[in-house]
Amino acid sequence: MNFTGRHRQRRHGRESTAASLFHPQRPLRIALAGNPNSGKTCLFNFLSGQYQHIGNYPGVTVEKKTGRFSYGEHLIELIDLPGIYSLTAYSLDEVVARDFLIKEQPDVIIDVLDSTNLERHLYLLMQFQEMGVPLVGALNMSDEAESKGIEIDANQLARILDIPFVKTIGNKGIGLEQLLAVAVQTAMAPRMNHQRHLNYGDLVETAHIELIAELTRDETFVTKYPVHWLVIKLLEKDQDAMARVRLEHQYTDQVFNRMHQIITTLEKAYGDDSRTIISEQRYAYIHGALRETVRIKHRTPRSDLTERVDNLLLHRFFGMPFFLLIMFLVYQLTFRLGNPLAQLIASGFHALATLVPRVLPEGFMQELLTEGIIDGVGGVLTFWPLVTLLMIGLAVLEDTGYMARAAFVTDKFFHIFGLHGRSFIPFMVSTGCAVPGIMSARLLPNPKDRIVTILVAPFMLCGAKAPVAAMIIAAFFPHRQALVFWLLWLFSWFAALTIALIFKKTLFRGEQPAFVMELPPYRLPTLPGILMHAGQRSWHYLKKAGTVILAASIIVWFALSFPKIRTDSSGQTSSESSVQLVQDAQTPARSALAYSYAGRFGRMIEPVLKLAGFDWKIGVSLVAGVAAKEVIVSTMGILYGIEASGHPSETTDVLLRTSLRNDPHYSALTAVALLIFVVLYTPCLATLIMVKKELRQLKWVLFQVGYTLLLAYGSAVLFFQVGEILFG
Amino acid sequence: MTKTISPILLSQVPTGNCFTIRRVLARGEVGQRLIDFGFIKKRTGRVIREALLKDPIEIELGSTLISLRRSEAALVEVEPVE
Repeated sequence: MNFTGRHRQRRHGRESTAASLFHPQRPLRIALAGNPNSGKTCLFNFLSGQYQHIGNYPGVTVEKKTGRFSYGEHLIELIDLPGIYSLTAYSLDEVVARDFLIKEQPDVIIDVLDSTNLERHLYLLMQFQEMGVPLVGALNMSDEAESKGIEIDANQLARILDIPFVKTIGNKGIGLEQLLAVAVQTAMAPRMNHQRHLNYGDLVETAHIELIAELTRDETFVTKYPVHWLVIKLLEKDQDAMARVRLEHQYTDQVFNRMHQIITTLEKAYGDDSRTIISEQRYAYIHGALRETVRIKHRTPRSDLTERVDNLLLHRFFGMPFFLLIMFLVYQLTFRLGNPLAQLIASGFHALATLVPRVLPEGFMQELLTEGIIDGVGGVLTFWPLVTLLMIGLAVLEDTGYMARAAFVTDKFFHIFGLHGRSFIPFMVSTGCAVPGIMSARLLPNPKDRIVTILVAPFMLCGAKAPVAAMIIAAFFPHRQALVFWLLWLFSWFAALTIALIFKKTLFRGEQPAFVMELPPYRLPTLPGILMHAGQRSWHYLKKAGTVILAASIIVWFALSFPKIRTDSSGQTSSESSVQLVQDAQTPARSALAYSYAGRFGRMIEPVLKLAGFDWKIGVSLVAGVAAKEVIVSTMGILYGIEASGHPSETTDVLLRTSLRNDPHYSALTAVALLIFVVLYTPCLATLIMVKKELRQLKWVLFQVGYTLLLAYGSAVLFFQVGEILFG
Repeated sequence: MTKTISPILLSQVPTGNCFTIRRVLARGEVGQRLIDFGFIKKRTGRVIREALLKDPIEIELGSTLISLRRSEAALVEVEPVE
């Protein structure tokens, strides 16, 4: 909000040096920007890793990363902006980058350019230049360009565009020292007080001057934005620029009238859309500059590595099998490596829990620590290796360039359900765990796609729901386990996709988001890049899910354990209702649970649950399952009087299965209704927290809780009732 | 669209064939993306392949590979190049 006037009153070089000496806390802020796949992340890692490291921390928005380090006498803050193609406001990434540049005014932008594809990458640079922020161009991947016979005269290019350029090889760290030196120098240089831009031709220039005059009538407005840039954006009919004028300019109507007049005249003269006119001028200018600075020594044969690999991976018929195979491998690797680690962590926590009674006396604190805190936190940490490995796998797919290909291969299928090809990623990840699944929905460029995907992805049969389903299936369909499990898996996909389609047709009608995307050249991913990608997400999982799960598991533990049945010396229970409970309870644990708040709640809602064939025990387990789905099994264990401690876990499982099968209240119909309910109902708390974090609005969380609960209940009741009529 | 002299749409260019861009008819987001990727008149490209159900398609423009849906390609006027 406080970006008023800063633009005009920039510090001069000398003052800034003094400032950085006297206030070492005021860092020099360097923004790293560029197209996706320009090797930006690599540069970021190298720069923030090579110099004395002060610490990386995620910025205000998760979409940009910040690293601090000292360089000479300067404290440098390096901000890695999301990769973008232009400075419009169609995608979240663009909005983040654009807002940052306008509001936070970095001291210099380093624009990372792919030297092998300069024409298109310079297109973004031209737009940065229009904003009037000091700019340095990094001619990255210069080795690749050289091997392709592309010779760039960096000095000449710098003269023509009036921007310093430095040749770099990001993944080898070559040229980065010089890049940093030039960037610091540029940031410290006295600021030119005009925003240089290319000449768009007489007609556009006239229009530009006229519109600036119009805008300048509101003197406070023109101090807030780089006016020069804003006017070009207005001529391009940029929605965000127009919105800013509408909201903040004193003479909105006059400006808009004049603007429409000017644009109409311009379009008549050229016989084309004003946006096209301007971008064609930009490209023409770039083309001219490149003609004077780039020589192509020898043409490389077209069939390069990317093309050859794509001939295979994007093959019309084999593309899909390859895609499924690659996904299968990522999946296998994740769970093959992750499960033993998960086991290790789980047994570690188990050991920790057994230690507690030696230190603490029996009672409230001991129970809180073992059953509340250790079980709860342990439950989250068990999934941590899986989440991290999955994130590493996805980072590899992303950094190699396969992700966009996967979207190419799957788009038609997802498009049927109104989704983008990239939606498959959140869906796929959610079959492991919905928490990272929802995080990965960030890959979706369009907000509508993203919301719909986040709303339905938790239907996937995740790593926590799967064992619950497996247990129920093993109990009721011992001879057809695989088949029933597979059907349930299909059902989860079916549910997610159909509901997505329904949302797309109702809540999110309107313009179809664009699919047009670049298929970047294949590149070998770098280890630091992948670790950073995956590490950050993994850390977010730990931090966010961990804290909330801790709180939630304490609450759930409390609901399941209190109030206690008080027994006086004669062994009489203290309340009347509990007498009846004790009568049908075989074990103390079970009657304690029945007496607890959760047990009472389960009994209270039993009449409602009966319509789906559930009794209060299932009710209590399902309520507990909102904390984390695997809790359903352990709660049922307690309700059936199987104490987890003392038995090896397999025995517990077998005992529970037998108890379920022998319960006269349950039939195969109940089991299927329960399976349907478990797949569809409210996502676990960790997922809901992640939804809140990603979509930023509580309304979506509430909506998700509400609709999934209704859907699950409705489907289970429908199935059970119809089943009763048909088979009952 | 079926007049003999008039240009065809990018969505109608057979796989493997080259084309020269005449005009981008798309507005809004699709239009913006196409411009970002260098869909500018007089530039020449090639349709490289199509996905399983003939949609989306992949094209090469300059040194950029771009994937787009057929419905989006139908918003670009091109001239076929032999």
